[in-house]
Amino acid sequence: MKLALERYANLNSPIHRWEPTSKFTALLALIFAFAFVQKLALLPPMVLVTILLYTLAKLPLSFLLSRLRYPGLFLTAAVIFLPFVAGETAIISWGIFTIKEEGCQAALLIVTRACCILTVSLVLFGTAPILSNIKAMRSLHIPDIIIDMTLLTYRYLEELGAMLKTMEQSMKLRGFNSGKLTPDYLRKIAHLSGTLFVRSYERSQRIYQAMILRGYGYATSPNYSKKTPIQLDCNSGILAATTLLVAIFFIVASLS
Amino acid sequence: MHIADGFLPPNICIAGYAITGGMTWYSLRQINKQNNPREHMTKASLLAAAFFVISSIHIPLPPSSIHLVLNGLMGVLLGYYAFFAILIGLFLQAVMWNHGGLTTLGVNGALLGIPALLAYYIFQLSYRLRQPIWKQVFAFLAGAGGFGITAITFTLLIITTIPADIDAQMEKTAIYASMVGYSIQMGIEGTFTTMLVSFLQRVKPELVP
Repeated sequence: MKLALERYANLNSPIHRWEPTSKFTALLALIFAFAFVQKLALLPPMVLVTILLYTLAKLPLSFLLSRLRYPGLFLTAAVIFLPFVAGETAIISWGIFTIKEEGCQAALLIVTRACCILTVSLVLFGTAPILSNIKAMRSLHIPDIIIDMTLLTYRYLEELGAMLKTMEQSMKLRGFNSGKLTPDYLRKIAHLSGTLFVRSYERSQRIYQAMILRGYGYATSPNYSKKTPIQLDCNSGILAATTLLVAIFFIVASLS
Repeated sequence: MHIADGFLPPNICIAGYAITGGMTWYSLRQINKQNNPREHMTKASLLAAAFFVISSIHIPLPPSSIHLVLNGLMGVLLGYYAFFAILIGLFLQAVMWNHGGLTTLGVNGALLGIPALLAYYIFQLSYRLRQPIWKQVFAFLAGAGGFGITAITFTLLIITTIPADIDAQMEKTAIYASMVGYSIQMGIEGTFTTMLVSFLQRVKPELVP
């Protein structure tokens, strides 16, 4: 589950060498700038910037395609009806079906924008271990409790997933039939989920005790609560500045 | 029930982040009033992971199957931590599976998180009534209500923000059609929450605050 995203996190490219905090800030700004795009004329430069960024990251195309498969299905399902139901200017009429210009434009805008945002997100999270991205979020002054919760949730996600799979398998081996929605079926799933909650809760108690024993929550030195200062090298500085300029361009062009 | 990147206009995305920021501040304030917030943080993190895993279970609903959203149940079990747990779950889903999105994280967080907190308040009402049956009644209301509020807001938001003029009649039909589908899931979410809360009260009562 984790490895799928981090498969290419250790390649050697300018994007991989980019300092995590400035990379997180600049690429997030670019993602938001893309969300601002409402004009069709801005779609080609947006696609161009995305291709350039992905090429610079040296990530394989197959990786992008595999990551776009699931959201692609959702996107198709969501916009497939737009050309038929949205707008007034008819382009093609075929019996009761009429393809409308405004609907086509809206669908094109949504799909292109979504694909570009997803690709940039992949460049952001696929070129570094997710833990270093979460640590970068800490230096952006996101509350400590949220960061600690994110790290713990991420740490135990896979383990609890494996635990659920084992429990489901043992239920099936005991003759549990998962094909039909009945009150009895729902009760068994509720009990299965309840057991997972109880196990998670008991484990959380042990984790908390272990964390306390290791000094969690107690300052060991005056510098404990200080955030690590960001140290930008030349490569990171150029990339961050260029990305921010591009983001500003898209925001200004969208608003003008 | 997530809105993907690219669907919403930027003003809605920004408004979503503003609302989520406000709710985060409110939840943090309530959490800091508690005795030992760090201890509850560990519990909330692992339960958040468990929720994340459980929501992947397919529930057969012919002709297809559904995934439970469980935001009402999260509110019942996690209280003010539910908002953070939902935000973290949405963030990990966006990053790991491209499900939802980073620009819509604020909107999705508010869509699922605010009803979760409302579900918490609904369930807390059961403590004012002594008979044990009320716990089950309020657990159902919390589970069904949490999902119901999310479903109504989600449908209205999607239909009113699609960037092209949709035929008014078509809009009405789409709203009614989604309401029928979601009302079935509301019943399932409510029943599931009731069953799970009564199971936990028997097995591990300290898990139900």
